[in-house]
Amino acid sequence: MNKILIIDDDEELCELVAEYLTVEGFETKAVHDGQTGLETALEGEYDMAVLDVMLPKMNGFDVLRNLRAASKLPVLMLTARGDDMERIVGLEIGADDYLAKPFNPRELVARLRAILRRTEPADTGDKSAEKLTIGDLELSRSSRTAWIDGKEVPLTSVEFDLLANLAADAGNVVRKEDLSESVLERKLSPYDRSLDMHISNLRKKLGARPDGGDRIKTIRSVGYIYTIV
Amino acid sequence: MNLFFKIFLWFLAAVSLMIGIVIFINWTVQTEPVVSRWQIAVRNQMNIYADTASQIYQESGEAGLNQFLRRIRQSETISEVDLVAPDGSVWLGDSQAANYRDLATQAIASEDVEIDTQRDTSLAAKIVSIGNGKKYALVVRWDRPRPVAVFGETRLRYLRLAGLLLTALILCYALARYLSSPIGKIRHATQQLAEGTLGTRVADRLGRRNDELGKLARDFDEMAERIESLVTSQQRLSRDISHELRSPLARMNVALGIAKQKASPEVAAQLERIENEADRLNQMIGRILTLSKLESGAEDYAKEPLDLFDIVASVADDADFEARPLGKSVKLDGEGTCLVDGNEALLRSAVENVLRNAVRYTKEGTAVTVSVQKTGANVTVRINDHGGGVPEPELKNLFKPFYRIGEARERSTGGIGLGLAIADRAIAAHEGSISARNIGDGLEIEIDLKCEPNGNSV
Repeated sequence: MNKILIIDDDEELCELVAEYLTVEGFETKAVHDGQTGLETALEGEYDMAVLDVMLPKMNGFDVLRNLRAASKLPVLMLTARGDDMERIVGLEIGADDYLAKPFNPRELVARLRAILRRTEPADTGDKSAEKLTIGDLELSRSSRTAWIDGKEVPLTSVEFDLLANLAADAGNVVRKEDLSESVLERKLSPYDRSLDMHISNLRKKLGARPDGGDRIKTIRSVGYIYTIV
Repeated sequence: MNLFFKIFLWFLAAVSLMIGIVIFINWTVQTEPVVSRWQIAVRNQMNIYADTASQIYQESGEAGLNQFLRRIRQSETISEVDLVAPDGSVWLGDSQAANYRDLATQAIASEDVEIDTQRDTSLAAKIVSIGNGKKYALVVRWDRPRPVAVFGETRLRYLRLAGLLLTALILCYALARYLSSPIGKIRHATQQLAEGTLGTRVADRLGRRNDELGKLARDFDEMAERIESLVTSQQRLSRDISHELRSPLARMNVALGIAKQKASPEVAAQLERIENEADRLNQMIGRILTLSKLESGAEDYAKEPLDLFDIVASVADDADFEARPLGKSVKLDGEGTCLVDGNEALLRSAVENVLRNAVRYTKEGTAVTVSVQKTGANVTVRINDHGGGVPEPELKNLFKPFYRIGEARERSTGGIGLGLAIADRAIAAHEGSISARNIGDGLEIEIDLKCEPNGNSV
């Protein structure tokens, strides 16, 4: 049974979410301020954290920043709906995914499962090779790590999966619909910008190619290509 | 014409008029008494001259009389002395040819002093009886007294007049400045306030003034302070409302989820309905917040060079995807790159709001067309639907928040009347413009934005 840590100052909401998640087969614990949240998360007993942005004592971004310094615990950020800044900042400092509040609990469970599946060590027979090298980029599927020029690039689980999908098919267009379904585990819906946002963060983290070109190119209304020189 | 010149010219005109009036009054007021006093003196003198003349004639005859007349003429104010017969002929005196007949006759008939006023001089006539019963008229030409001019008689008067006018000019200028410059400052402050600089205060800039303008400036400051506090408290309120309304909504959503986990199939439809309504409520709150954020103008949106065509194209893709199942479509026209300096989220939401609106209202089986056109330093996005358009007088109201066009566009079509208002504010935040007009069987929304100066190629 997966243990989920909920960090949110709305106690009633935490109770309801805990009740819902219990029915869905999760074990939960809720804390209501940033400081306690960070300390509890660092205990290492949990498989995942659901983190609200607006928190007393220490806000969600600071909690995440401090947490990332010491732990790779997957984090789902709860942001205010319509606030792009919160989403962008959250993803930039290492959240694995985000969900706008108020959210549909079914959606929450789907996201939690997707992230958990992704972060669990892939020991079952993988269809593709464990190591992948394209130019100066190197990927290891088992350790879910990416290197450029031998230097590790800190990626979130979504970013790693996106990169792995693109790199496996390097030089060819990978359709947005496919990426959404295989990485985010949901159908691509109109006006949903999350895929673009993850790609944009991934681009920033990877930087330009040694020759100055874009590593990931956008093919409008189709998808993305990981370019090969 | 600005206030400064108006005040200046009016006061100058007033001062000039005053000078004119003073000169005129001086002239009339001085002239009257001077002339009447002079006339009395002339009468007395004429009486004395006439009596003396008849006495002298009796004592020393014509020669003595001639001598007497010559003595009279020596007076500085007298230029001519004659003794005139009733028929007008001059008996003794200077101007033999002069025609004083009328005046002489009159004087002889009235036996009193008669005065005939001419240009610079006056003729005075008085009867003189000579021993043998003959009657003559003594006619004397007197210099008329002149009133003292306001600026004197010498050449200095031009200097004095110029001095007076210059002083008036300087005073008028100072007065006009004194009155108009604080108004200019208050006006400048009002503009700043209107542009959203709510911290604008003006009283200090006017110095210590206790007149109406000083009070106006202090009243302005008071007003600005009130507006500032109202706006900031309103912004705080919207932020609070967002948090306050969304917390119960978030709990409701989760509770609804639990209810669905436990519900029997016969209430599933109702729960679905509740979920949809909660979703709609959430969207409305989101839009109201977006709008209030945009309207306050307080938020500083980070801008970067963006390809507007890219944004429009990706929104058009999404809109087309959304429109297809409804039997509608979205067609994109135009190609190439149009770099604008903007905030991606804002521009995207502006285009999205307009486009989704168009898709909502266009008739089934028709296509919404989107075109991106670059003309010089501007880029124009036109979005045309086939939804029957909007009554002409309603066009200008389209961009007002919560505005709904009566019969043509009904509630059943969805939306809450905030989309175009949000688009309008978002475009305004980019110093662009958005307008609507009826074209063909539908509405055209046009968005104009400035291009990046070096945005011709990437």
